[in-house]
Order: sequence, then C-alpha cells, then structure tokens
Amino acid sequence: MTSLERVLLALQGKPQPSPPFTLTLSLYGARLTGCPLIEYYRRPERYLEGQEAVVDLCAPDIVFSPFALTLEAEAFGSELKFLPDNPPNIRKPAIRSADDFIRLPLPDVDSNPSLLYLRESVRLLTGRYQGEKAICGVVTAPVDLPAIVMGIDQWIETLLFSPEKAVIILEKAHRHFVAQANALMADGANFIALPTMFANPQILYPKLIDEVILPSFARSLAEVKGPIVFHHGGNLMVPSLGKYLALPNVVAYAVDHRDSLAEARRILGPDRLLLGNLNGPTLSRTPMDTVLSRVDRILEDRRDDPCFIFATSGADVPFDTPPALLQAISAKIRAVAWVI
Amino acid sequence: MDIEAVRTRLLDFILIGERKEATDLLDDWARRFHWRAAIVELLEPVLDEVGKRWSAEKISLAAGYMAGKIAEDVLLKAVQAEEAIPQIKGPVVIGNIEDDYHSLGRKLVTIFLRTAGWRVIDLGNDVRAEEFVDAAVANEAKIIGVSAMMLTTAENIRNVRQEMDRRGLSGRIKLAVGGAVFKMRPELVDEVGGDGTVASAVDAPRLMAQLSGMEDAHDLA
Repeated sequence: MTSLERVLLALQGKPQPSPPFTLTLSLYGARLTGCPLIEYYRRPERYLEGQEAVVDLCAPDIVFSPFALTLEAEAFGSELKFLPDNPPNIRKPAIRSADDFIRLPLPDVDSNPSLLYLRESVRLLTGRYQGEKAICGVVTAPVDLPAIVMGIDQWIETLLFSPEKAVIILEKAHRHFVAQANALMADGANFIALPTMFANPQILYPKLIDEVILPSFARSLAEVKGPIVFHHGGNLMVPSLGKYLALPNVVAYAVDHRDSLAEARRILGPDRLLLGNLNGPTLSRTPMDTVLSRVDRILEDRRDDPCFIFATSGADVPFDTPPALLQAISAKIRAVAWVI
Repeated sequence: MDIEAVRTRLLDFILIGERKEATDLLDDWARRFHWRAAIVELLEPVLDEVGKRWSAEKISLAAGYMAGKIAEDVLLKAVQAEEAIPQIKGPVVIGNIEDDYHSLGRKLVTIFLRTAGWRVIDLGNDVRAEEFVDAAVANEAKIIGVSAMMLTTAENIRNVRQEMDRRGLSGRIKLAVGGAVFKMRPELVDEVGGDGTVASAVDAPRLMAQLSGMEDAHDLA
C-alpha cells in the first residue's frame, strides 16, 4: 500500500492496521542536505532534494510544500530576513495601514517569483511523488494574510476599529487566496493545509469571528478546487472547533498539541478526519524517552480510530532535532498493529 | 457610586470590545475625580484583572489589544488635560531582540508601563545585545526588557546576559524577558539568563516593580 492510499483510507474512514503519519519536516530537509536556507527557500530543486532526504529518513505519508508563509508576504512587498536555522522571517511589512492594503496590487500567481517558487516546489514534489505520497500545499489563510502583509497590530486595529475597511481587505485577500490555493492544486497538490489564527477566539472576539471572519472565510474556502485541512495555527482549537464544522471543503482538522484528541473526536463526530497532536516545535529539546511515551499515549488514545492521521502539531520540527528521534517516532507508529 | 461596580462595567466593556463605552466611563470618572483617579482607581485594577485572564488564556489577543488602546486613550487625554501621569519609575530599556520583528507585544508593554508611571526607552525591533546594554548604561536604567516571539530568536537573548556579565553589570541591571515563546516554555527564562517574565503585556508593570524591588506595582506616589 502506498502512502497516498493510506491517507485516502483515513479520509474515507476505512480501517487499517496503523495510522498514516506525517511530521512537519518542511524546514528539516535543509538540515538533512546541508542546504543554506537562503538557497532552500529560493530554489525549488533544492527544496525537493531536502524533501527526498526527509522521505529517505523517516518515510512520512504526507510531504509538504514549503511551510514558509512569509514568502506570500514577500509577494506583496514585505521584506524578509533569512535566518540560518529557521524559515524566513518578516523584517518589514509591505505596508503599514489598511488604506495601503486597499490600494496594494495583488501579486500575480503566474509571474511573481516568490509565488512561483512555492508553485514550482509543488510541481517538483508532484513529479517525484505523484501517486506515491500525499502532497500538501500550504497556503496562508485569507483571514491571516493581512496580518503578514501589514503587521498583526495593524490588522487587529482594522478589524476592531474600521470594520468597513476590514471587509474590503478580506475581499482582496480572498482573491489572492483562491488564486494561490487553486494554483497549487493545479500544480499537483492533493490537498491544501491552512494554518489559521484570525478565526480563533484566542485571537479575536467571538462576535467578530462569527459576524465578519467566518462568512468571508467560508466564501473563500468554497472556491478552492480541492480538499482542505484546517490547521490550528498555534492556538487551542478544540474550544472553538464547533465553529468550523460548516466551513466548505474542509475535510480534516489539525489540532494543537494541548488539545484533547478525544474531545476533538467527540465534537467532529466519527467520520471527519483528525490530525495531530505531538508537539513538533519542542522535539529538539525533549528527551527521546519522553517523546516516545507521548507517541504511545497518542496512539493509545486514538486506538482503532480509522479517521486519524498521526502528525506533529505546530510549526516546523526544529533544525537541531536529532534524526534518530524522527526515525524512532516513525518506527514506533509503523509498528502499531491495531486490530480493526 | 460603588467603585467595584464601575470597575466591573469597565472590565465588561473591554471584554466585549466596546472602546467608546469604556472611554466614556473613564471620561466620566475623570470629570468628577480627575484623570489620575480614573487611571489609578479604575483603569489599573481593571488592567490587573485583564492581565490575569490574559495569562490564563481566558481572553483574546484582541481584548488585550483593546485594553492597550483604552489605556493609550486615557493617557493621551490625561496629557491634554495637563494631568500627565508622571513617569517617575524607571527608566526601563525595552526592545525586540536581534532578528525578532514581532513588535505587537512590545508596543503593548510600552503602553501598560507608561500607564503605570514608568519611563520607557523603546529601542524597537532587531536590537543587538550591545545596544540594549549601551542604552541601559547611558540612561542609568536598572532593567532591560527583551521581547522575542520564537525560540530561535529568544536564544539570542543569551547575548544580552553575556554582555551584561562581560561589563560586570549583572546584579546591578535586571533582565526581564517576554514573548509568546516564554509562555510556551517557561524554563527558557533561566536558559537565556532572564531574571523574570510575565505571561501578558498587561502584567509588565508588576514584573518591573518586582525586579526593581518595589513592593507595589501601582504606587505612583
């Protein structure tokens, strides 16, 4: 059975002896190949080499397009800073006000270099793994895009105090998001993963989420030509999970490491796909025994859950995580023999 | 009028995002008792409560931001009414550490510190260790406050501690650290050489008071 078949079985809720799994190893490929990150996040062929090394190391069932949302910010004019061991950070947002955003032209997904890098990475992953691995295209949520283009403070300010401008901005973010997500689907992604912060009550007032964010978000997601994984974006998701059940095209929910998988399952019902919830960003600083115990607990918690994919939660697995730990996690999951 | 009831109303306005109602309430209190009373008797106790709830993840980032905007509104009006809160505590040197550009938390810290009467020297984003220490020495600051959002940038804070050690300033200058990563990984405070942290920007005055040996974070006298 191929990885893609394992993922599709989980999506269909069909039993299999062990859950499919993935670790967020978008960044980690550069560690394995020794590629400088300025090159890794500029040259799609180097990114592919990194992901090939990831597959060789621990054989995840899902491979990711570059998990570097800041490249979308760069497409709008934000200035990036490349770091030696992390995805690029935003040094300076493209603009500093809602009015600027309203005037800002949208980048062209067919010609903007930053967006073309993301697209070409998906094309190369598709050429290498089509039919074998599930290929995940990572896209910035339209409700989060303004935050990375003009700064978190300016986006909150606009949402709170200039709601009429927020609506115009969301419409503009919607157009970019639909174009980018559908471009990645056309390039070969099997699904889109959508880390989302600005639909979470840990970030915004619930009233604002219900009345402004979710209606706009739903319209955007409805236009994506493929399945979507709704990702917690670094916040607890279970307390607000019920808000997201009606979002169109969302077939799976990736929850935070602090969330309860059992509670998530109760809210989602038996048929919706659930992903998580090993704490990925702390793997480099956690002893192997502790990590593997946590893996055991997650597997026990989800024992015989056919709609579950084991995954790291959160951002990328850190650069300095020992490869042996990732191999041990992989081996432990593969060794599971659920009797279903 | 029952001051506790007024504080509760102010807190409610912040928690549901009603900036105008909150500032109207503070305006009304200031008309009757002066701006200083509005700040010390109403706003500060309410900000304390906001801080507790924020630290416990019981309120949103937007509510914390709203609290900051309301505090900023009040400070501005107090200045216009020539009742500026005297910046008699500190100074404190703050900034985002080298390679860190997540300025929201730092800006909120600045507002809340100024509301509590601290003089703040804000160095901005991407500040090198030497610049922090130079600014502290030049301004005779006893506290340096360093913000970082991510683990990798937080590790650059070690350089501030090392620079303080190198100049023989540790002990004489305290190092406050803050940012999302410290909330997720409290043990990081010790690892980078921090003297203390708090889980939300609203709590920054309390931390600064503790680090400077003051007993009461809200003593403006």
